[in-house]
Amino acid sequence: MSAKHKGKGPQALTANELREGFVVWLTKNFEWSLEFEHALLTEDVDMIEKMRVFGEAQENENIVVGVYFIDVDPDSGKPVRYREKFRVSGPTL
Amino acid sequence: MYRYDEFDHEVVQSRVKQFRNQVERRLKGALTEEQFRPLRLQNGLYLQLHAYMLRVAVPYGTLNSTQLRQLAMIADKYDRGYGHITTRQNMQFNWPELTDVPDILQDLADVQMHCFQTSGNCIRNVTSDPYAGAIADEVADPRPTAELLRQWSTMHPEFAFLPRKFKIAVVASPNDRAVIRAHDIGIEIKKNANGEIGYHILVGGGLGRTPVIGQTLQPFLAREGLLPYLEAVMRVYNRYGRRDNKYKARIKILVTETGIDEFRAQVDAEYETLTPSDIAVSQDEIDRISSYFTGPNYENLSDESEALKDQIKNDDDFSGWYETNIMPHKTPGYAIVNISLKPLDIAPGDITSGQMRAVSDLADQYSFGEIRTTHSQNIVLPHVKKDDLPALYQALKAEKLAVDNIGLISDIICCPGMDYCALATARSIPVSQAIAERFSDKTREKAIGEMQIKISGCINACGHHHVGHIGILGLEKAGVEFYQVKLGGDSSENTAVGDITGPGFSQDELVDGIERMVDFYLNNKKDNERFIDSYRRLGLGAFKEVLYADR
Repeated sequence: MSAKHKGKGPQALTANELREGFVVWLTKNFEWSLEFEHALLTEDVDMIEKMRVFGEAQENENIVVGVYFIDVDPDSGKPVRYREKFRVSGPTL
Repeated sequence: MYRYDEFDHEVVQSRVKQFRNQVERRLKGALTEEQFRPLRLQNGLYLQLHAYMLRVAVPYGTLNSTQLRQLAMIADKYDRGYGHITTRQNMQFNWPELTDVPDILQDLADVQMHCFQTSGNCIRNVTSDPYAGAIADEVADPRPTAELLRQWSTMHPEFAFLPRKFKIAVVASPNDRAVIRAHDIGIEIKKNANGEIGYHILVGGGLGRTPVIGQTLQPFLAREGLLPYLEAVMRVYNRYGRRDNKYKARIKILVTETGIDEFRAQVDAEYETLTPSDIAVSQDEIDRISSYFTGPNYENLSDESEALKDQIKNDDDFSGWYETNIMPHKTPGYAIVNISLKPLDIAPGDITSGQMRAVSDLADQYSFGEIRTTHSQNIVLPHVKKDDLPALYQALKAEKLAVDNIGLISDIICCPGMDYCALATARSIPVSQAIAERFSDKTREKAIGEMQIKISGCINACGHHHVGHIGILGLEKAGVEFYQVKLGGDSSENTAVGDITGPGFSQDELVDGIERMVDFYLNNKKDNERFIDSYRRLGLGAFKEVLYADR
């Protein structure tokens, strides 16, 4: 799977942990966090490329599955897509 | 109920070992995710929106108390203390970790359970009437047929990679409680004028993005012909079903495109090439399977229960529950008890581990250890003495399991929606709760009477919205959820796909619109008309005008 981003504005890299299955986001230390608030948000093209390389390597090393970039709203700092907002907030109940 | 033979036991145990090995290889990287995905799906393990989800098969919705207790244990030990009953009578766990799943499968195997046929393009877990073997209106017990189909379809080598998933439902009553006309194959067990039992076979029903009502393929198929005939149907589908387009791959599209008469001719031609006696099972085997479903040792009772009569007279809450949640049993002095999993504060179909244990204990105490799950996401205790109903009610009440809303407006079928599902486009659980909350006044709810609201969070229609009296489809545009409404659908033997009303609503607008339609119905209903009857009489236009009154 390619994590190549096609989005606009700030990006975050997300995936699911292979073992536990939970949603994670890549942090500025290039670690995976269960908390979106720790996610690295960047528009820097070089950084995005580093994130992609790291994410795909982590997938190949069987740490995470389904790595992809998401668009982040620059004003709110929250994901743009509705679905991604729910991956951050978890179930309503 | 059915007990595994040595073959079943061996198959399930060996599958646990296989999957344990597959998970180990995945974690070590010997299997890529692409290679592993079909293997995990064959064991009911999905990767959903937030986490893995494990779907446990409950064949034809039949559980015993030991099994439900084990599901409670699994919910506590490996998950978050609850499970979810699906519209195909299975139980899902929303938060298992991959590393635990082999142990979960072992724990399931220990009580003769597994996750076969809960995913993938195979013949899925067969569903049936939750009142099977208990209800007065059935012509035969559908469970031996459902069990026969389970044995035939499980790991059938020819049908492991069908064009798409394939769902079969069996009933044995003119009152359809399994939505057989919305299944790839629906089977109604019937009795003919000579008193012989046979099968009315329907084909090509389905919901999803293209709702189709099943058509009669055979009005009365002789009993011994069932498996060979179904094998011929599956072969025709397997050969001609469209594999070029996922959205046109279900048998409903093949039957619609081919035409029912030509499809029947193709099945007949295929049947001619088979040796039916190689496929059909012997009468001995049918008798062996049937012997597991002879029913419990009922006591010889009068159908009148003084204890019950007194309680109805003296306890309004009990009497309200009795009115909505109890169905007549075929055996004098017994009743079928529906346990609603639709309280106001919990997602429809969810049941906590504590409640599972309580239901298991109550099943042992009052229902010969038997439990059923329903496609309406509720639970049934099939064989309860009428004398025991007052005590059972009190015990259920203590577990918050005595909600008296079966078949009413707050007994909503609802898919997990965006709260859990990776395919969803909108949430459905909060909508169902908002509707239930709006109609929480019991007097009003009972005055409204029978009402089927069904909510799906995407066009795949797991929440059966096409066949709801009021069907609701959740969609999303530019980050905002909105809900489309269908009216006049019916999931009973008079199956009907609802009429599309028009543009969608926000959740608040939707609940207001439903309330206006309900009030309109109450003000205009004739005699004992149900909502659906009034809708049929007054038509889409009248209700649509009310629904869109504030636009």
